[in-house]
Amino acid sequence: MLAMTTQLASKRYAVEDLNHAIDFCYQQGWTDGLPVVPPTERAVLSMLDAAGLEPDKQVAFITNRQVAVTAEKVAVNAVMAGCLPEYMPIVVAAVEALAEPTWGYHGPATSTGGAAVLMIVNGPVSAKLGFNSGDNLFGPGWRANATTGRAVRLVMRNVIGTLPGALDRGTVGHPGKYSYVIAENEADSPWTPFHVERGFKAEQSVVTVMAAEGPHQFYNQLSSTAKGVLTSLCDDMKHHGSTNGQPQYVVVLAGEHMRTIARDGWSKADIQKFVFENTQNSLAHIKRVERLAGAVTAEDETTMRPIVPSAEDVLVIAAGGRAGAFSCYIPAWAGGKKSSQSVSKLIQDRRA
Amino acid sequence: MLDGILFEKAGIPAASIVTDVFEGTGHAMAQSWGLPDYKFLSLPHPIANLSEAQLDQRAREIAPEIVKLLLQGQE
Repeated sequence: MLAMTTQLASKRYAVEDLNHAIDFCYQQGWTDGLPVVPPTERAVLSMLDAAGLEPDKQVAFITNRQVAVTAEKVAVNAVMAGCLPEYMPIVVAAVEALAEPTWGYHGPATSTGGAAVLMIVNGPVSAKLGFNSGDNLFGPGWRANATTGRAVRLVMRNVIGTLPGALDRGTVGHPGKYSYVIAENEADSPWTPFHVERGFKAEQSVVTVMAAEGPHQFYNQLSSTAKGVLTSLCDDMKHHGSTNGQPQYVVVLAGEHMRTIARDGWSKADIQKFVFENTQNSLAHIKRVERLAGAVTAEDETTMRPIVPSAEDVLVIAAGGRAGAFSCYIPAWAGGKKSSQSVSKLIQDRRA
Repeated sequence: MLDGILFEKAGIPAASIVTDVFEGTGHAMAQSWGLPDYKFLSLPHPIANLSEAQLDQRAREIAPEIVKLLLQGQE
């Protein structure tokens, strides 16, 4: 056990009681607008202990902000977010992912496009820690979903300086900036789990982060075929708000749609191929609706533009309620593939 | 902003330009690189929906300031 003999570097503040501590955190500008749990030394040490991390261990270095993020600062913000200590390895893995050059911190964190950090949890840790992958998928009610994403956002705010109005310039933002965490419903899914598609073992636990717009819900209650359900999805998806330069999309298929599509024997690869081929717009259309500059030419009428670079950039996740004719798609932040892509990180148990 | 800061750090004169609504963000970025007094230029916002002629006009107006900043440097 490393904790009780370990020294924390963070400054200590004396407060009268719990209420004053909560108010003090507001006064310091350390909250996302909701009250935070005051980070006592004991709670911070418990968080570090659960992850097997020394406080001065550098978890991430955000190059284009020149900020080093230590395990201690992640732990402080995880406590403030309301995390249980056993959530700490997930928060650490997500913060590691944000520092990857392929995620490209500065663009998605700062852009007027207002991306939030979508986190997708896969592997045994999901059920063990109670991550929701079912009913009310993006809604409130699950501590693991609500607090791990909140912890990551508090790290972005309090450690990396991603403050609204300064280095977070989202024009309209979205509520996922409080927390935006789902798990794949591997137990009921007929498909290969997402982390296995990405090269991890099924028994490993993984968190994937994507700079993401909000979830766009779509409806189909009438079709009993994979093609029918996905045709409705594609019709909605190809005309959504910012069909320009999205590097990837997540498609979340909930219970009814998942079963309908699987009954037809479609794999995730089949879904990706269908969505890629059926969400393309003509250049003429994109120009007519003023999303691309320039006069419409005859050639533009037959020149098709896909919404992502390849079929593999449609990330298919099985999750959501058992009942209901709804699923959703989530556009990644529209900075182009060179600016930001989703990153998957192993959730490590470092307690040796 | 970051490109300009990195050029200057490499000894290459640079003039960063933002639109006016991003001045605070520009200052915050410079601050995070330990350069709170980093000088940069500002144009009226927005620019993405301007015609080519309007853009040329904006460029003509700010060109002398760019030259001045490049020659003067960050001193």
